[in-house]
Amino acid sequence: MSKRRRSADSSRRNFLKGAGVAGAAAAIVPPATVNALPADPQIRKAAIPGPRQIAAETMPPAADPVNQTSSGGDFMVDVFNALGIEYLAINCASSYRGLHEAVVNHGNNKPEIITCVHEDIAVHLAQGYAKMSGRPMAMACHGVVGLQHAAMAIYNSWCDRVPVMVLGGNILEADKRAPGAEWPHSGVDIGQLVREFTKWDDQPASLQHFAESAVRAYKIATTPPMGPVFLALDAELQENPIPNAKGLRIPKFELVTPPQGDSGAIAAAAKLLVEAQNPLIICDRMARTPAGMANLVALAETLQCGVIDNVGRMNFPSRHPLNQSFRRGLIAQADVIIAIEMNDLWGTLTHFSDRIVRQSRPSTKPDAKIITLGVRDLYLKSNYQDFGRWQDVDLAIAGDGEASLPALTEAVKRLIDDGHKEIFAGRGQKLAKLHTAMVEQSKTDATIGWDSSPITTARMCAEVYNQIKDEDWSLVGTAIRLTWPHRLWDFKKPNQWNGVSGGGGVGYNLPASIGAALANKKRGGFTVAFGGDGDFMFNPGALWTAAHHKIPILYVVHNNRAYHQEYMYLTAMAARHSRGVERMDIGTTLKDPNIDYATIARGMGVHGEGPITDPKDLAPALARAVAVVKSGSPAVVDVVTDPR
Amino acid sequence: MTKVKRIGIAALAGAVIGAAACVIAQAQDAPHGDAGNGKRIYLAVGCFTCHGRSGQGGALNGPAPILASTALPFDGFKGQIRDPSNDMPAYSDAVLSDKDIADIFAFVESLPGPRSPKDISILNN
Repeated sequence: MSKRRRSADSSRRNFLKGAGVAGAAAAIVPPATVNALPADPQIRKAAIPGPRQIAAETMPPAADPVNQTSSGGDFMVDVFNALGIEYLAINCASSYRGLHEAVVNHGNNKPEIITCVHEDIAVHLAQGYAKMSGRPMAMACHGVVGLQHAAMAIYNSWCDRVPVMVLGGNILEADKRAPGAEWPHSGVDIGQLVREFTKWDDQPASLQHFAESAVRAYKIATTPPMGPVFLALDAELQENPIPNAKGLRIPKFELVTPPQGDSGAIAAAAKLLVEAQNPLIICDRMARTPAGMANLVALAETLQCGVIDNVGRMNFPSRHPLNQSFRRGLIAQADVIIAIEMNDLWGTLTHFSDRIVRQSRPSTKPDAKIITLGVRDLYLKSNYQDFGRWQDVDLAIAGDGEASLPALTEAVKRLIDDGHKEIFAGRGQKLAKLHTAMVEQSKTDATIGWDSSPITTARMCAEVYNQIKDEDWSLVGTAIRLTWPHRLWDFKKPNQWNGVSGGGGVGYNLPASIGAALANKKRGGFTVAFGGDGDFMFNPGALWTAAHHKIPILYVVHNNRAYHQEYMYLTAMAARHSRGVERMDIGTTLKDPNIDYATIARGMGVHGEGPITDPKDLAPALARAVAVVKSGSPAVVDVVTDPR
Repeated sequence: MTKVKRIGIAALAGAVIGAAACVIAQAQDAPHGDAGNGKRIYLAVGCFTCHGRSGQGGALNGPAPILASTALPFDGFKGQIRDPSNDMPAYSDAVLSDKDIADIFAFVESLPGPRSPKDISILNN
């Protein structure tokens, strides 16, 4: 019997009720003896059914109801809307068809469904959206096969500490599964697939259970350190009528206030920073909200110290005179370092050699004091090693970086006297001169190979910036090691950057950029991203989603026709062996035939320009693409580039 | 693109270091190399993958220096190839002869160095 024709009485609860009745009947008359006559005449008389009972037992069963007026999916939609979830990214699947139908009809497509052609796209889209909008969206998938497709993107979100509500359909009750696909598509504990890289998961057994778990999941996902969460949604729960609508309640939800560092520890950190000769701020995934950048600028300007930004978020203006991100030598000069919401502190403070014998040595002075401020260590798991290598520190403050910065800045101000101010001013002026020199050096370096073909990445980035600099732009993706935007562009607003993939799983850039563009669409911002060609080919179908939902984005393909980092690594391996250094394009390059990304884009309904090989053709192509984006549609520009 | 991706943001540490290498005293001791053959070898053995086809520099795990119009002396250039000081792979004479290195040296010396950014308007945004 198909689930669509199943009686309303076949829900789990009614099934159990029915099972109880059947069990009692079986105790009186075992099925094997129904038609046998007992030998005892008294018993025989009592056991003979009357005409009414015979009629009841021989009549055909009542017809299945063909309609229902409510479903658990309706209630689930009410819960998602109560949480303010704006979008639901999906690749449609029968195990959550109850929810899907309820979103469309009961919710009138609210949360708005974003149709994706792969689950990896759906989660990455949600990752990019969350970083740009500051709030999670949901994605739904088949709980077994779809969740395995989604796993890489969930891992990136986990490593990037980004909240995503992942929903997976499942058919818990074995006797309700249809023959065929529903068996390999069901599991006893599907959450275990992603449990090592989600903050929390559950498989609700009732609608009230679902409501409380959904609110709890949202709360856990959005509490720093943030992360993805997973809910398995039983198909019966989604599809069957609501048995007790009046008894259901959507729990009250309030965001958790991010924790501030302990006041004594903040005071100790302030003392170290004020007394330092060369204090240094290092940060990574620090800014959670638009306030984050302003908070960091306030601390840096109060101390007049350098800031090295690992650009995990939009932490610090690129052209601020205290921005020293391209002067890593400062690490070796610092006597006090405060590291805020760092992803890989050891890697940042260590010189590591990727040679036959891998060696490392600290980049810091032996007596440098290291302070950490962040929440990363408050929630870790053991299997996947994204926590990085152990770093000795002198003062570790558990507290959200952005939330703790105002108190730290105030504590610093309380310790500063006129003598400090004079010293600090001198330090700031020196750093400002070095910053200016660094910017000028970047411009000079960018001129090398300016007219070359393939086009240099410096020229590509300069040409793009020239086209978008007067827009309310956000750069939401760069290809690996493409540092030119941060060297050449004037990043000064909180929404102008949103970090990278987190886990390094390729396939992030295109869908996550479209997710960020979705967040920007409502406010009318102009979204631009660079992405590698290798990344593009993991999830080209994301472009169809951009076209279908009219998500405007300028996506520039940094097309070096290779998995280039691997090309370099392979060359290093061959050189180590003193053999075959001329054959390292085997398995590392994307040529013969060359891939035409503009044609792929056009095939998905997206404006495509390129492939562009002559730098003179770049500006006109970009101008046409920018016009398309400003009209509300996506555009791809395929730029054939030099490797880095 | 990469699938191994070391997240070492040390890459940000700036190709600016590369420029410094260019201001060392001009080479006086270079053997006469064939720049045309040097270009062929530069592209074939993978020099361009880190340093760029125009010698503009790039990145492996960290910054890879600018080589265009290099002012490094030939011995220093050759020494870095045979026994590199960083993550650059060492090229032995089994895969790169001294003559090959001389030709590569002639090629990178011939590459145009930086221009004044003031001459390129879009670099002044």
